[in-house]
Amino acid sequence: MAISHFATTTPSRDRSSFSVGEQRGASGFPSPADDYQEAPLDLNRYLIPRPASTFFMRVSGNTLNNVGFHDGDLLIVDRSQKALPGQWLVAVVNGELALYRLEGQGRRWWLRGGDARQACLPLEGDNDYRLWGLVCHVIHDCRRPG
Amino acid sequence: MYALIDCNNFFVSCERLFDPQLEGMPVGVLSNNDGCVIARSEELKALGVAMGMPAHKIPIAQRRKLVLKSSNYALYGDLSGRVQRVLAQCVPALEPYSIDECFLDLRGMSGDLESLGRDLVKRVEREVGLPVSLGIAPTRTLAKLANHQAKRMPGRPQVCIWPDATASALDQHLRQLSVKDVWGIGARLALQLSDLKVDSAADLRDAPESWLRKRFSVVVARTARELKGTPCIKAQDLESPRRSILCSRSFGRLLNDPQQLSEALRHHCQRAGEKLRRDDMLAGAVGVFLRTSHHHPGPQQHYPLWTTLPFPSADTVRLNRQAQQLLERLWRPGYAYQKMGVMLSELSPRRHSQPSLLDGCEPIRQEALMQAWDAIRQRYGREALTLGVQQQQSAWRMNSRHRSARYTTRWDELPSVRSG
Repeated sequence: MAISHFATTTPSRDRSSFSVGEQRGASGFPSPADDYQEAPLDLNRYLIPRPASTFFMRVSGNTLNNVGFHDGDLLIVDRSQKALPGQWLVAVVNGELALYRLEGQGRRWWLRGGDARQACLPLEGDNDYRLWGLVCHVIHDCRRPG
Repeated sequence: MYALIDCNNFFVSCERLFDPQLEGMPVGVLSNNDGCVIARSEELKALGVAMGMPAHKIPIAQRRKLVLKSSNYALYGDLSGRVQRVLAQCVPALEPYSIDECFLDLRGMSGDLESLGRDLVKRVEREVGLPVSLGIAPTRTLAKLANHQAKRMPGRPQVCIWPDATASALDQHLRQLSVKDVWGIGARLALQLSDLKVDSAADLRDAPESWLRKRFSVVVARTARELKGTPCIKAQDLESPRRSILCSRSFGRLLNDPQQLSEALRHHCQRAGEKLRRDDMLAGAVGVFLRTSHHHPGPQQHYPLWTTLPFPSADTVRLNRQAQQLLERLWRPGYAYQKMGVMLSELSPRRHSQPSLLDGCEPIRQEALMQAWDAIRQRYGREALTLGVQQQQSAWRMNSRHRSARYTTRWDELPSVRSG
């Protein structure tokens, strides 16, 4: 196997850490931008501040199109965050993972699905075993048809 | 104080996290190649299915009632890492002990142990979604026993704390506990101890240390001292540096075709090379074995062949070249092979390697090639770059017919969520 040229590669996990050392231009003069150097914007940090408790999931079905969940959309779900009324969560209902909105009044809490005719599911407090995680973001690929 | 945190029925819990239908059902996870049961849910234990039982020995009538999964190490490994990350945020020092167990060093932590322990357990259960149990005690050996005790507690969170090694409740427990259940004392050692009237954990604790050291080993003497409450088994004792690397797999069916064997060997060499570089080691020797099946009539072959490398290396291409030569020498026409493996030995840390003027050393070019190799496979997936063609459906690949999706490590296998 004859190899004559190597490109330098950086493992992806190192890209979030940057060095603050000076960057020299090709001529060896310090770059005037050195004093203003900032870390590049990192979408991982923005969307996933807690990687250990964050999971990705895919939406299946078009029932919730009107509230912004489309079939095939990517969900960013964080298990460490407590949901507030009005927020969407992944819940375990009938042995499967499904999207529900948390609603509450006083000490009573319940889950409501996308279909208004559907009965809502009362919860046993905010530690109910059916709550899987909070939906923090939904990523929709705008190029896809439908 | 030390804590041992352990994920309950870890592999089964991982399966249930993304497939809630499995909740409450008897579930088992099978070893590589769908051979034996290596993890059981409580419901499966209750049915009397033993650990290590070959899947085909479970009566058919019973098999219909339970769910058997192929092992999904991509998923288990990812979730294990998440558990460690959550714990690392809470305690000053963490010593992963196995894929589902972790020692925590609680020295210097303030607050009462009870609420600390409950917090840790609740946090892991909430953030990662896996049930865990926790034991806290003055030494690692006692923490391991406390964890065992926690597992038997009804309700959640399962936490058992023995802050004082001289407490009478603990003494009571150690008197009833067989010495073979003590961490580091295997069944064989327990038999020898039993011959000398050391039957319970308390007997071991109270035996004279000098006698234990002379009669058995320094490790047994240290274990006794740990039972008394003095920490003396160190983290380094746990993570002894690797002395060898083994990559082996049973084939999906019996094989003799040299081309397929060579393909399987390339695959193993790739993995072995990656393990080696991940630990920043160099290998001095390569071994290959080809094994026939006991259950299959015909000529038998088991032994390995070894070769020494001209200089210590971590270069997959070089390791593979040597291994392929060994395979050519091992292979016999007409033999039905069931298993193959690559072994790397005489490992040395790369940073200590002394280039010898006469023998030479790994060329920089090869090191750079392997860095690029690892980076490409990490970024684009393991199938993106392989040594020669390696087909997905080859006969040498393992059986994993009942494997769940790799929910956390593949974009195209993410769990799906029903909308409405």
